[in-house]
Amino acid sequence: MIAQQGLSSVELREFVSARELPARRLTCCSSVPSLPELILRYGAIVGSVIHRHGSVGRTMDLARRHIVACEQGGRSVASGTVILAETVSASKGRFARDWHAPVGGVWGCLILADTLMDRARTLLPLALGIACCEAVRECGAETATVRWVNDVMVGQRKLAGFLVESYRSPGHGELFHLLGFGINVNNDCFPESLADVACSLVQLLGRQVSLRDFTLSFLAKMAWNIGLLWYEDERDLQHLYDSQGPEEETLESEHLLLRQWQRLSDTIGKRVLYGYDIQKKPLYTATVMGIRKDGAIVMRQDDGAQIVEHGGELRYVEGNHCL
Amino acid sequence: MADEIDFDAILSKYRSDPYDYVVVCATQTGIVNFKVEEGSRVNSTSGQWLHIPGTPLFEITRERNPKTVTAQTNGAVSSIRTELEGQFVEAGEKLLTIRHPLKKKEVIESILKEVLFIFPAPERAKYFFSLDIQSRIEKKGAKALSIRSGDEIIIMSLMKRDTPVYYTGEAGVIHSIYFTPGISVNQGQPLIGVCASDKLPLIQKIITRVKADWDKMIEPGHAEE
Repeated sequence: MIAQQGLSSVELREFVSARELPARRLTCCSSVPSLPELILRYGAIVGSVIHRHGSVGRTMDLARRHIVACEQGGRSVASGTVILAETVSASKGRFARDWHAPVGGVWGCLILADTLMDRARTLLPLALGIACCEAVRECGAETATVRWVNDVMVGQRKLAGFLVESYRSPGHGELFHLLGFGINVNNDCFPESLADVACSLVQLLGRQVSLRDFTLSFLAKMAWNIGLLWYEDERDLQHLYDSQGPEEETLESEHLLLRQWQRLSDTIGKRVLYGYDIQKKPLYTATVMGIRKDGAIVMRQDDGAQIVEHGGELRYVEGNHCL
Repeated sequence: MADEIDFDAILSKYRSDPYDYVVVCATQTGIVNFKVEEGSRVNSTSGQWLHIPGTPLFEITRERNPKTVTAQTNGAVSSIRTELEGQFVEAGEKLLTIRHPLKKKEVIESILKEVLFIFPAPERAKYFFSLDIQSRIEKKGAKALSIRSGDEIIIMSLMKRDTPVYYTGEAGVIHSIYFTPGISVNQGQPLIGVCASDKLPLIQKIITRVKADWDKMIEPGHAEE
């Protein structure tokens, strides 16, 4: 059995034109009427090619092999290629943590050539979480939120996780970003270690969700949010060109992707436990004050000291209890 | 790396002037207002997470947006360009110098940095060894681990995006590790120091010699400045 049978890049483009674009026209507040079209044109690369597989070891590994095979065959890798799998047997999260990926979820990887500027590249992981949270909310789980950096949560349970790895091709040395995604949709059985911390859409909604429709929606929203990164790159370059000087600073509230992250996230204002690898070594507790334009989180400790972190993980804390 | 090192010359250099001179420049264009004067003692960032800012050195204002620049090292202000007070300066303009008293460990590291091959951080990020390298270090120690150009040794982690970092430099063993997993490293700061395995005895000789000679050649009270 092949994942998301029949789902193709043509179908995705039709979905974007028929569903995503009209929806974005309604919600995108801008003085530029054609902005939604522009952003989706930038993001149209997402899903330019879609490979579907049955059971695989890791989609990230498939992506690496695909890049090598293209290079050895004298072909270019199509940036925006999406690899989907029905099940993933050797999936792992960060720090080689176990990730349960049975039939019923959306498991896959997006290959992006490294064409973004530094700041936008840094925000790629945020774009994944935002796209997923939007798709999940649209599906009916309206209480879904994003926990910095990009965990999609419903209450205290994690519904989706993402892993971004960069990979330099061995032949030409071209850099690619592999954006791995794992979303619990119709799978409702979790191993004991995850039973209290994970959840799926079918559990939340009490009904099965069309995996194909959900995947289309998620990919369309990835196209939008990754398109936003190229759009913000364009704005940065325009500032540079207009001023003929150093880059103007854009406030995080003006950055369209960060603005959307702030809308969807409940992290700001929360008391959190922070750690680089929080399961193995939690470091300190603090209160989240905001997010910077480079995606870094700003926290304040009890003694008033401010800390800015560009990486690591958070867990919300209530009283002395880590949620 | 030279086979022979003139220890007397190196130690004599540090003995005659056991300080590091840290030049602080304007971080951006703007109008400068100094917060210290010549001779002022300054402290570097501190706290468990290096989250407590150092002594304010100057404020630089661009388009009514003031930014305070703080000391990143402790010591005393040895020179300051007071003629620039209230003036508009370009980014990179030298503003003051901090005289930082070196400790024994810093002298050793400073000498080692001259003789080791230093592999720097490509971006400001958090770094950790790749899983394979980490397990080999845990089993046998870094000095038993040979690396060569092209090896994937370190993972650079920025906003949950992990990028493998490939070593480029002379083959050898990892002698010094300058980063702590989970703590941010600035671009250009050293990550590891590598030396050819047959040079390890020479490196050890440097460390032993400095440890033996340093205390007797430095005036009491030096490190307290």
